Amino acid sequence: MREYLLLVWTIAQKDVMIELRTHERLAAMGAFAVLVGVLFNYAIDTSLVRPQDIAAGLIWMTVLFGGMLGLGRTFQLEQEDGALTGLLQSPIPLDALYLGKVTANFVLLGIIVVLVFVVFGAFFNLRFTGNPVVLAGVVGLGVLGFVALTTLFSAVATRSTMGESLLPVLVFPLVVPVVIYGATATSRLFAGRPLAEVSGNIRMLAAFSLVFLVAGAFLFRFVIEE
Amino acid sequence: MNLGRIQRGVVGLGALGIATIVVLNWMVFFWVPTESFQGVIQRIFYIHVPAWWITFLAFGIVALCGAVYLWLGDERADMAAVAAAEGGMVYCTIGLLTGPLWARVAWGAWWTWEPRLTLALLLWFIYLGYFLVRRSTANPEQGKRLVGIIGILDIPLIHVSVSWLRSLHPEAVVMRPDGPNLDSSMLWTLMVGLLAYTFIFFALFLARYAVERLERELMLRDATPAHGVNVS
Repeated sequence: MREYLLLVWTIAQKDVMIELRTHERLAAMGAFAVLVGVLFNYAIDTSLVRPQDIAAGLIWMTVLFGGMLGLGRTFQLEQEDGALTGLLQSPIPLDALYLGKVTANFVLLGIIVVLVFVVFGAFFNLRFTGNPVVLAGVVGLGVLGFVALTTLFSAVATRSTMGESLLPVLVFPLVVPVVIYGATATSRLFAGRPLAEVSGNIRMLAAFSLVFLVAGAFLFRFVIEE
Repeated sequence: MNLGRIQRGVVGLGALGIATIVVLNWMVFFWVPTESFQGVIQRIFYIHVPAWWITFLAFGIVALCGAVYLWLGDERADMAAVAAAEGGMVYCTIGLLTGPLWARVAWGAWWTWEPRLTLALLLWFIYLGYFLVRRSTANPEQGKRLVGIIGILDIPLIHVSVSWLRSLHPEAVVMRPDGPNLDSSMLWTLMVGLLAYTFIFFALFLARYAVERLERELMLRDATPAHGVNVS
């Protein structure tokens, strides 16, 4: 078990380190998120709609679209340099490889999520009075489910000739439950509702994220094998 | 199964299907009484409901065949999955088009975000992705595995929609624990509709299966170098 976790950690560490040195995906996702915030500001007539009411939805959509942009390239670098073949020939179990990739993507998207919350909070003058730990839990679970799905399907997209343009068609239909429970819970937390009103959502969110993670770990081998 | 038998199956099932479709239309338009509550628009029910049942049947076959293909690597399972997916897509489209027509009159809105409607729409898009993946993979073996995965991932979705089928919505008239609460003439019409659509579906399924098999045999023949033998 410890060895397995070490393998997962090695893969994750490798990916995060590459990203921290090149900043390729982080820069793309970060710039996207901030610029979308600017666009939203002008797309919404704030004299008609209070930003506070729709902030959760905007934040979730920004994270998902931005995430799609960066996570779609999970296997791109390795595919281009033929490093994927080397990785597959190493004795690491394929589910550990998948979980390592998910961990790295989770860390990267986590950075983007923090950025989105800070930037949108400033842009739209949002005020959050609830429990930040609960908010972090909701967003963390949702992001985990999304990352689990997107990592699996980015491997599918890498294998196809359509590339990343295939990704939204594959991911969005399945990510709907995450959006339903995650965005509603976030909206309620922003509206200052009590914890009891979101606990059901959190349970469903956890269930879906777990299912996606386990299914991804199991199905990944069929995607990645030559 | 040899191609001759498949061909006879297609013709037989197709003829039966067309005959029952004619009967169905006669029943829907002339025989079955107009429902007192909803009026004429309720007659779309005899087309809409069987279409959905066949959609779930078809996508169930895809999921099952996808799993079998991933597990055993049997080429036939993959060919059956393609055939069922294309048939299912046709019925899913029929269901999605007839639903709003009814809803516009009965509910006053083309679309509502009711869970079953959402799931039906998502199912359609999942299968759009299914065909896109199939078409865009350079390595056919890999493509078959990839779509097998999509087939399996739709199982929970189908399960959820089928279990919700009982709790919500007007359709709960047939699948009830205490038996259908439908006028017998209406139930008969619905059953004829189901029969007609089932015949047509399996005719399409077999035809598509045969086409897929011929296509693969051709590809295999192109891939293997001819040894001076006349292959025609």
